[in-house]
Amino acid sequence: MTALSKNRRLSGSRPASLLAQLVTGRTKNRHLMGWLLASPLALVLLVFLVLPIVMIVIVSFWGATEFSIYPAFQWDNYQFLLTSPVTYKVFLNTFKYAVLTWAFTLTIGFTVAYFLAFHVRSLTWQIALFLLCTIPFWTSNIIRMISWIPFLGRNGIANSTLMSMGVIDEPLDWLLYSDFSVILAFVHLYTLFMVVPIFNTMMRIDRSLIEAAYDSGATGWQTLTNVIIPLCKPGIMIGSIFVVTLVMGDFITVRFMSGSQSANVGRLISNDIGLLQYPSAAATAVILLITVLMVIGILLRFVDIRKEL
Amino acid sequence: MDRRPRSFYVLATVFTLFLLFLYGPTFTIAILSFQGPEGGLTFPMRGVSLHWFRDLFEQQAVGDIWGSFGRSFVLGLMVMVTTVVVSVMGGLAFRKRFAGSGVLFYLVVTSLVIPSILVSLGVGLIFSQSGLDVHWATSGFGSQLTWTLPFGLLIMFAVFNRFDKSYEEAARDQGASAWQTIRHVVLPIIAPSLIGVALFGFTLSYDEFARTLLTAGSYNTLPLEIYGMTTNVTTPVIFALGTLTTAFSLVVIGVFLASVWAMNRRRARQGSDAGQGMV
Amino acid sequence: MTEATKTGLSRRSLLKGAAAGVAASAFPAPMIWAQNIKDVTLRQFGTGVSNINEVAQKVKEDLGFTLEMTALDSDAVTQRAATQPKSFDIADIEYWICKKVWPTGNLQGMDVSKIRNYDKIVGIFKDGKLTPDSTIAQGTSPNSVGFTDGPDGTRFADQETGWMTLIPTIYNADTLGIRPDLIGRPIDSWAELLNPEFKGKASLLDISAIGIMDAAMVCEAMGEITYGNKGNMTRDEIDRTLAIMTEAKKAGQFRAFWKTFDESVNLMASGEVVIQSMWSPAITAVKSRGIPCVYQPLKEGYRAWGGGIGLSKNLSGLELDAAYEYINWYLDGWVGGFLMRQGYYSAVPETSKNYMTENEWGYWFEGKPATEVITNPYGDAMAQPGETRDGGSFEERMGHIACWNAVMDENQYMVRKWNEFIAA
Repeated sequence: MTALSKNRRLSGSRPASLLAQLVTGRTKNRHLMGWLLASPLALVLLVFLVLPIVMIVIVSFWGATEFSIYPAFQWDNYQFLLTSPVTYKVFLNTFKYAVLTWAFTLTIGFTVAYFLAFHVRSLTWQIALFLLCTIPFWTSNIIRMISWIPFLGRNGIANSTLMSMGVIDEPLDWLLYSDFSVILAFVHLYTLFMVVPIFNTMMRIDRSLIEAAYDSGATGWQTLTNVIIPLCKPGIMIGSIFVVTLVMGDFITVRFMSGSQSANVGRLISNDIGLLQYPSAAATAVILLITVLMVIGILLRFVDIRKEL
Repeated sequence: MDRRPRSFYVLATVFTLFLLFLYGPTFTIAILSFQGPEGGLTFPMRGVSLHWFRDLFEQQAVGDIWGSFGRSFVLGLMVMVTTVVVSVMGGLAFRKRFAGSGVLFYLVVTSLVIPSILVSLGVGLIFSQSGLDVHWATSGFGSQLTWTLPFGLLIMFAVFNRFDKSYEEAARDQGASAWQTIRHVVLPIIAPSLIGVALFGFTLSYDEFARTLLTAGSYNTLPLEIYGMTTNVTTPVIFALGTLTTAFSLVVIGVFLASVWAMNRRRARQGSDAGQGMV
Repeated sequence: MTEATKTGLSRRSLLKGAAAGVAASAFPAPMIWAQNIKDVTLRQFGTGVSNINEVAQKVKEDLGFTLEMTALDSDAVTQRAATQPKSFDIADIEYWICKKVWPTGNLQGMDVSKIRNYDKIVGIFKDGKLTPDSTIAQGTSPNSVGFTDGPDGTRFADQETGWMTLIPTIYNADTLGIRPDLIGRPIDSWAELLNPEFKGKASLLDISAIGIMDAAMVCEAMGEITYGNKGNMTRDEIDRTLAIMTEAKKAGQFRAFWKTFDESVNLMASGEVVIQSMWSPAITAVKSRGIPCVYQPLKEGYRAWGGGIGLSKNLSGLELDAAYEYINWYLDGWVGGFLMRQGYYSAVPETSKNYMTENEWGYWFEGKPATEVITNPYGDAMAQPGETRDGGSFEERMGHIACWNAVMDENQYMVRKWNEFIAA
């Protein structure tokens, strides 16, 4: 049994037969059945997602003293947030990180997924190589973050290697505590979130399509741009959703890797939380949530997650 | 085996470089965990020793590594099991459209994309305002589920999209009840993917920082504990922990691969190819 | 740093010497609850500075009950003290945090008549004066937030009332840490932090309440700003201070800002930074790795901080008794000695003396040259014979306090401005 035929999907099992099933028999209690099965999920999301969001929205109108918060209905938190030039700068910085990280993770992630999907021929090897990629993530992120300092620092591995190779004479300062190191850490953390969905859609591509492209005289490059990339779009979109939201919501990576020198929205929120300014943190959180949902809303227009996975 | 094209070698190089990049910090951690007794968390090395590995099993000046590791491990298992069960149920539910399924689906997406600190903040606020105690096994557990459940559910979508319904129909034609069909036909076929869901659930929980930050209560999980330890002098002990974790992961993953391999062999004998493709 | 065998040894030898003293002082009378107190568990939290496991271990040995320690960073400490009163029994916090947290009513006032060594607590924590003729430094001095009206008081009292908010445990005089080997010339002023000579090699701590004080010390030393009261700045003073710092930041003066103790150690030890705000044991930690590092006394004086133990509102009955017993034990000298041998000061120095060798007492407290090798409680060598402590004796160091870590009236404004500075 070759890998190719193993990976070929049986077609025609979806919408048509699903419809057929719905029409026959137990249509009446399918709502009941659906809710029965989905109720644990719904319950968790209700208690730990919907209620917290509602709470954040409510608290964002409250007032705060040095040490406590009190119920109120005031726009002060939003007013301060939306009139401060720092807010816009920080949001801009957040977008900058998101876009740059997205570009790098997409390029690297696509290449890696392509290699795994089209050049590694057995499923077991694919899984093995993929798992090899996940092992570093089992070591706590805080530990890994601390270990970037001896790697990228003035006397770190990177600088001393480059210097002993004669590439540079002076240690490079911008390797650590800079936008470079922030992006590097993001790419390090989140590329796999791009690899998985892209790999997944690649595995669903019917290999005969690629053979057909070659047979009709397309070059490797043409096949890639005209056949594979369009077919991978759903995976790319899903990966992008992961990466963009993870970067936009992050606060700890930026703090560690920039040496606290630059800020994103997550840090604004965590600073406010640290100083017990919950209403102000909540207001920033609401704005961030709206921004993220808008970005995701746009991305979702290009892909139907449920169908395309 | 036919000959590899040239692009294979180019891409294999890229992949190797990517692996090296991923393992960069792991290597740094591994090297520094062998620091001499007087060494610190940064270069230069001050001697080479196994001191910090021994020290890992002693009491630290600050913090409780093994206690928090135990909590993280238990929490990881709790999240793992819950994620698998709830995702499978959710996946089955979403195979048919039901009233409100669209809304629920958008909630799942929101849960996936909501910045983690918001969950932490919101759950923390609810608990504090309603006078409940935050605890890693209640509020912490729930907060982590908002991240692992959407993940598990997406994987289940992928699995069921590939699921060949004719097996189920065959079972039903032969008089199997709905439960019997699921128990004896559906579950065995999707089992390898469930290992993937479980692995994801555990890994995401074990390393989660932001969602537990304001929801863990008196007792820290491992990531929080390590963060707390950095308020005093931390030693290469945490690097020794990292190195051991990596070694341990290699073993676990080896076992996992062996089991996948065994399952594949069994399946190969049975001649089915459904349910593959997702890790 | 914790080498197992050495720690064990030092603890054992210490125990032997101290056994008699402990037996005599920690158990003045047989307690009725002596049996069931063993079941008591007290949950303490604080920063890693003093939440040390060996203290918990020693409590178990000496007092019999269990003390659970949780170490957090200072933001999280404030947060937990203010918002999660049920998650702790004992709060180990700093005085400026106390100023923020006390009004929440999560802590209870402590009856000083139950504190055996109250009379021996140094003046700084009572009337604010080290010696009768010293002046009280600027900022949130411990005496100003150390007393309250009664067990349920939520206000701070101006003078000693018999009810303490925190029982003082630990304090120190902070200054800049430098790498003498990489700087190669004497440093004597806070102004050096912004000296362009150290461009890209300076660091400041990113805890607003403390960082702003360091910044003020720098600006004042540079002659740029004269403050009415550094511990309670006006909006204008805050703006000008942070404008100077922002300018320096944009010019690339700072390599990084640090938030946790450990970061400051790593920055210094790795050579990323040669001059920065730093805490005493961080210097110790760098030095114990064989890297030269000096806690540089500066002509403008020190920035001081103090911490203490507060009791949760929810403590009562047997647990409250146990907590008082713990506090008495804390001030009894063993912990004091343990802390002083890391470079901090104990609130009751004279009891700590019993748990230190003459050499250690001379080096750490009296500023005398060491007569033999000075080691910290973990057995690492801190100083060689002949060396003296940076800054000298207790009186010299604590007598030159320019200001205390503070929470200002304009704190919320300051915090917002500080966040802007970090984001700039």
